[in-house]
Formats: sequence, C-alpha cells, structure tokens
Amino acid sequence: MATVTTTAARDRGARAAGAAHLRRKRRLFWPFAAPALVLYLAFLVLPTLATVVLSFTSWAGAGDTPKPNGVTNYTQMWASDSFQYAFRNTLVYVFLGGVGTFALAFLFTMVLRDMRGGKVVRAILFFPNIVAPVALGMFLGFVFKYQPGKQGLANYVLEHVGADAAKFLAPANVTGVVTASLIWASSGFYITILMAAVDRIPPYLYEDAELGGASPWQKFRNITLPMTWDVVGVAGVLWTINALKIFELVFVLAGPGTYAPPNQAWTLGVYVFDRTFGSNGTPDFGAACACAVAMIALVSILVVLLRRLMRRDAIQF
Amino acid sequence: MACAVGASLLLAGCGGGADSGSDTGENALPGVDQYLNAPCPEAAVKPATDKEFTYWAMWTADEPQGKVLQKAFKCFQEKTGVKVNVQWLGRKAYTQNLVPALNTDAVPDLFDQDVSKVGAAIATPGGTQSVDDVFAMKVGEGDKTVKDVLSPSSYDFPQNKDREGHNFMVPYTVQSSAWWFNKDAAGDVQQPKTMDDLTALFDKAKADGKAAISQDGDIPFYNMYFFTQLAERYVGSGGLNKAAADKTGQLWKTDPGFLKAANETAKLPKYFIDGWDAAKFPQVQQRWADGDSRYLYVGTWAPSETREYLDKQGAGTKINYSSFQFPMPAGATHDTVEQMSIGFAVTKKAKHAEAAKAFIAYFLNKDILSGIPAVADNLVPRADLAVPDDLKQVKAAMDDPKKEHVLQYDGIDGIAGGKWQTDVFDPADTSLLKGELNPQQFVDQLAAKGADFWKNQS
Repeated sequence: MATVTTTAARDRGARAAGAAHLRRKRRLFWPFAAPALVLYLAFLVLPTLATVVLSFTSWAGAGDTPKPNGVTNYTQMWASDSFQYAFRNTLVYVFLGGVGTFALAFLFTMVLRDMRGGKVVRAILFFPNIVAPVALGMFLGFVFKYQPGKQGLANYVLEHVGADAAKFLAPANVTGVVTASLIWASSGFYITILMAAVDRIPPYLYEDAELGGASPWQKFRNITLPMTWDVVGVAGVLWTINALKIFELVFVLAGPGTYAPPNQAWTLGVYVFDRTFGSNGTPDFGAACACAVAMIALVSILVVLLRRLMRRDAIQF
Repeated sequence: MACAVGASLLLAGCGGGADSGSDTGENALPGVDQYLNAPCPEAAVKPATDKEFTYWAMWTADEPQGKVLQKAFKCFQEKTGVKVNVQWLGRKAYTQNLVPALNTDAVPDLFDQDVSKVGAAIATPGGTQSVDDVFAMKVGEGDKTVKDVLSPSSYDFPQNKDREGHNFMVPYTVQSSAWWFNKDAAGDVQQPKTMDDLTALFDKAKADGKAAISQDGDIPFYNMYFFTQLAERYVGSGGLNKAAADKTGQLWKTDPGFLKAANETAKLPKYFIDGWDAAKFPQVQQRWADGDSRYLYVGTWAPSETREYLDKQGAGTKINYSSFQFPMPAGATHDTVEQMSIGFAVTKKAKHAEAAKAFIAYFLNKDILSGIPAVADNLVPRADLAVPDDLKQVKAAMDDPKKEHVLQYDGIDGIAGGKWQTDVFDPADTSLLKGELNPQQFVDQLAAKGADFWKNQS
C-alpha cells in the first residue's frame, strides 16, 4: 500500500515537475526565437517583399521616387535579347553544370571509398572551393589565354599534343568554358557532402556485395545511391541555388572585369548587375528587381520540382 | 557582392581615362616633381561659411590624377582654409557608390566622371545641381573667369544640360581617340588622307611581319570605335544619335551614309591581331605595347596606360608615342573629331555646394590644372596650357577649326540608359567585325532590332 502511494506520489510529482518544465520551456521559447525572427524579418523577408513591390515600378534607384508601372519591367525584360541570353545561359549552368558536377561526384564516390589515401584525395578535391570565384576567374583568364607564341596553359598543352589552339574566351565559347570551370571548381564540394553520407553506410553491405562479385557500378547502383538518396536530394537543391546566382566567374572570365561582358555571355546575375551598377547608362533598379524576382521564382520552381523528383521512402539502417 | 567585385577590379578599368600607377619609373614625364613642388596660386573665390566639403573621386590616390588632386587640396586648404574630405573610389564610384547614396542624405558635395556617364546615371534621375554659377567665378588669374579660360566645345553641348537646361558639369580633362603607333617602330607616319592610305599602312605592317591592329575585343565600347568613327564622317554630329533613337529604325536604311560606313568598317577586321576576339583586356593592348602589332585604336589614355604597363615590366622598353585620326572615307562630307569631357559635378543634396564650386574654379587655375598634362599625361579644356608630347597630334585635331566636334560615340552609349547599345548595337557590331554579318545585313539588323527595341520600350 505504502509503496503504491509512494509511486503514485512520485508519478504525480514527476508529472508536476514535467509540466512545470514544459511551462518554463514555453516561456523561454519567445526570448530565444524572437531575435532570430526579427533579424530574419528585417534582413530577408522585408527586403524580399520590397524587391517584389519595386519590380512593379519604374525606378532608377538614384534618389528618384519609384513610380508604379504595372508589369512593364517584366514584359520589357522578357522581350530583351540580353535577358534571353542570360536566362538561357543560367539554365545551361544549372542543368549541364549540374549533370557534369554530379556525374563527377558519383564517379569519385565509387572510387574513393576503397581507395588508399582517399582522405587526402578528398581534401585536394575540395581545394578549388576554398578559392574565391573572382580569383578563380582571373586565374582561369590566364589559363585560357589565346596568344600565338605566348599561349596560356590550356592552349600550350593543346599545341604540344599537336592540336590547334582554341579561342576559349570568345563570347560564343565562354559559356562552355565557364560550365567546365564550374564543374571542376564545385565538384569537390559535392564529393565531400556525398562522401560524408557514404561513410555512414555499414561496411558489411559492401563486403557482402564484394563476396557476390559485384562490380563497382553495381555496388554504386544498388548500395551507395539508394543509401545516400536523401543527401543527394539536398545536394541537388544546394547546387540549384548556387548555380542560379552565378555571377563572379562569368563576369571576370568573359569580360574585362570592370564592365559587363558582351551580352551573349550574360547570366541572370550579370543582368541584375548591369541594370544597377554595371552599364554606362542610367541605372534601372526597377528592372533589376524584376530580374531578381524572376530568379527567386525560378529557384522556387526548380527546387520544388527537384524535391518531388527525389521523394522516396527513407531507408532505415 | 557586385560592389566587391567591381571595387576589387577597378584598377582593370579603362575608358574613364588614364589608369593607375605612379609615374616615377624610367618613363616618367618631365616636370612631375616641378609641378608637385611649385608654390600654390592664390584662390580668387573663398567660401564665406563652408569650412570643408566632401569629394568622391573617380581616381585612386596613387594615380597621377590623384596626385594632382592632392596637390590641389593642399593648396586650396592653404589659401581658403577649406578642408577637402576625399574618398578615392575609382571609376565606378558614380554608379556603385553615388547612385545608392542618392537615396539617402549622406551624399558627397563633389564628384567626377565623364559627361555621358554623369548625364545618364546621375543627372537624368535628377541628382545634380546647376553649375552655371561656376562659369562666372574667377580662377585666380586676374579677372579671368572659368568661362574665359575653358574652350566652349568642352562644356557647351546638349549632353551637358540637365532637365532645366542648366550645365551640370565643369570639365577639367578632355579626351579623344586616335590610331596610336610607336614612331621608333613604324617610322614617322603621316595622317592618311584616304581609307586606301590607311589600309596601305596596315598592309605594310603585315609585310614587315607584324600584326597591323591590336584590339581588345572583350570591351564592347572599344569595338564601337570603328563603325562610329566612320559613320560620324558620313552623317555628322548628331546623325548616329538620331538613327539610334529612331523608333522605326528606318533611318539606318534611308541614310546611305550608314551602309557606306559599314562597308568601310568591314575592311578593317582582317588586319586585327589573331586572338582579338578571344581577348581579356588589357592583354591585346599590351601586345601592342610589346611591339607585336603596329597600331592601336583607343582613347587618349593609351600613352599613360601602356607606359604604366611598360614601367611595371621593367624591361626598359620605351614607346615614342604618336597618333593620327581616321581619314575621310570616300564620299564622306563631315570632317569630324570626337571629344569627351571629364569633369566635376555637384550633387543636388550637397551641404557644402559653395565650397565645392569654389574648388572647381580653383582647380581650373593654370598653375593647378597644368598638372593634368604634366603629371597625368592628359589633355585639358584650356587652350593656353602645354600639351604632352604624346598627345600633340590629337590636340591639333581637336583644335583644328575646320573640324566638326562630335561627342564620343555621338552619345549613343547613353541612349535608353545604355540598354540600346547592349541590346541592339553591340551584338550587331561584334558580328560585323567577326565577318558573321555583311555590311548590308548589319544595317538591316540595326534597323530591325532597333525597331523591336523601341516597340518594347514604349
């Protein structure tokens, strides 16, 4: 009997303590969450809303007052060749660059897992990511230099294996060159993320596959990919967001670095820059906001599509 | 982010005049120290109340222009007691720093850039104030006023007028463009009279085993020179601007001058140096300085920019600079010379406009302004100052009373806030120079794309 009461009392006490704890927790929620929320509102939500509002105005952004002009900025933007180039190039970076980067990343995850010195290789592959894109762009500008008799590294190699030097930096070729540079520069980052996920896979699965005589591709197809699927999805979202706002690499590699490059090489980021600080003409912050809104919309659509595409039941292990 | 990129790369700029670097190498101009150590002239206009003003400079402190300005600040403070708070922001200061600042109250009193840029980015949205009163101020040489000492062609043109019709800029440097060559390598080339004379020079360069023309093809407004220079000679001052602003685009076709100019332009690209179209500025210009090619068509900043590069190389190479203008192409009726003015403007919200304006007048005093030719190797809008040797031929062309003055590119780079050039002209121009469009197709594309552009703008 006594024992019963004591347990009941203990339970009651515990419940009371639990409830008090919950109450305290609830009371602490706002003091902890408020600062972050305020900052988030002030520096992200409100500016984003302001961008949307301003995109429906005619505003130079140089001390004048925004005047509402409906969807003019959007219609003008869509009809402009510069935007069309920028839109096309940006999609090339997102999709071609994405396919290339992930193909490379998967390739390395196949090999790196049971490679000796894999950790070192991983670190080396991550290197290009540490360098600022601007510096990378300038460096690659030298690498891809075309000057008969004084070729840059890329053409020097080409000429020494008996091929013709290529005009890498011609406006028509820049998108391809930047895509390749991008794949080279960012695959290390995604390899690092994917390898972190691969390392969590129990080794016995691979040992089992090994005994069954599975090829590296079969191991990748049947073990690595399904087990890292959710991480691949997250990496895909990260890639999409990063690729959509590509600016520095193109800006520095395709042009003189002070002024916007020829519009054939533009990305949406360059378009925004040119409409604000980039051109020698009147700034047009209204048009720039319209392009920024288009970028936000594009990111949202692509990310939602990607999430749907990647949706699967999580594997428990 | 964009700002950071721009700021870190400012020194790769051009177009805004001579580039950075100190003129202390073996190629230093004569008289630099003499100028910097000369006594200060008296200031005729002393601000009554202002004790300081703020200036956002398009130069960096260690550029030759920066040195000249610092000397002027020192003298101005000595003679008037007014301190200049300067920020050395570089070429893009007017867009990357000033434009956003105009939305606030923290604006500088004084800033500078070329008249087309200031007009488009600052004056059009209403960010400048009239500087008409400056022209009546004395410069400290007896009774001479700013108006008395400046050449009218350097400030008196429609592109220097704000919405109320007032001048918004007072020039202190004028620029033009030319065919540059090294006399020691090319010999004493005389001004060609016809396009055939010009191409003969290029043929000779090739026969001598050199490339004929260096051209940094990644800068659209460098590629613009050839067609605009030739077209101006057919249609005169304002003709290009009118065609570019023509809502129907038909002017490109109805005025035969444009097709003729395109025909003449198409003769040039075969002389361009191999790799011009896959270039990264300033590599091709440097190839000219290194002697790989014989001619280079850019603005009057060519000598100072390439001299600085050679100084940094330290190989002891010297160039004996000389230049000539485009000849009159067959059937052309306008003997033109381009001009671009760089000068000071005062913001509308300036708190110390009085001091800023007094400084503008003081800077135009001959003892101060002579630093622009002596130290920075640039031309000034005063006819009575010494001309740097490198620029003698350009100056002669600009002072030639028979020549018709045209604003650089006839101002088409500022049309529709610069968008017309980016969307309509540059792609067509690049294709013409690369031989992807023939002259007729080039003119047709300008007409068609121009009409589309304006339809979309209205």
